[in-house]
Amino acid sequence: MPSTSFLTEISVNHYLILSAILFSIGMAGVLLRRNIIVLFMSIELMLNAVNISFVAFSQYFGKVDGQVMVFFVMTIAAAEAAVGLALAVSIFKRFKEVNIRFFEHLKG
Amino acid sequence: MTADVFIFWFLSILTVVSALSVVLMTNPIYSALSLAMTMVSVAAIFVTLQAYFLAGVQLIVYAGAVMVLFVMVLMLFDLKNELQAFSRGKFTGAIKIAAVGILAGLIVGAVGSFMLAAGTSAPTNPDVSTSADATRALSEHLFFNHVFGFEALGVLLLVIAVGTVALSRSKGGTHAKH
Repeated sequence: MPSTSFLTEISVNHYLILSAILFSIGMAGVLLRRNIIVLFMSIELMLNAVNISFVAFSQYFGKVDGQVMVFFVMTIAAAEAAVGLALAVSIFKRFKEVNIRFFEHLKG
Repeated sequence: MTADVFIFWFLSILTVVSALSVVLMTNPIYSALSLAMTMVSVAAIFVTLQAYFLAGVQLIVYAGAVMVLFVMVLMLFDLKNELQAFSRGKFTGAIKIAAVGILAGLIVGAVGSFMLAAGTSAPTNPDVSTSADATRALSEHLFFNHVFGFEALGVLLLVIAVGTVALSRSKGGTHAKH
């Protein structure tokens, strides 16, 4: 009979695996979707997955360095969303569409 | 089954389902709503990991500010259901999904094989038992050991704010006619 202890005992592994699943979902979104807004949402998902594993390790080792790193990640994520959405607005002004195939027209 | 275990499974299933619906919904406003749901459940996961202050920051910054930014931009665009929501090509799509699956399998396999031997008893810090103590320890660490990074982030945010305003005021993006 297989052991069911992984269901009833929550360890740091559970949080790490949850983080890996979230990161993979975000990566699938970045690879498969064409809308620039949904692409940014998927990037936010990936950053959140990384935050979960930072906090899980921080709690596991009893140090707060991981939580400080989560602060920095959150700030960078907010800045990245602001710049990315400004780029999306400038794409939309010109092409009336936010599909990423229009990004090739940005060169030059 | 104790309450902690039930809360963990409930929150993780909620997080994964709402994250999947971010990727799978074809209407972007539904994706934004699912993303807000994901942010809130990630904040609850932070609470179960005893990172109370970070849970509050997650709610304010992500579920508040970033989501408002996304929804405002979506309202500017007035998007309907997209005809071409996903990338074209069955073959390349299959390759992409396979790559994602291989990555997920690698990470889960690595975590499962190396960390399960380390045992389940986490060495928790005894002086972060209450939420006020945890927040005090976090703030002392931030302002004593990482104060340079904190100040650098302040400068970065200023630059980003100026750059965002300049970028969104320019007519026609990089194709501006002078």
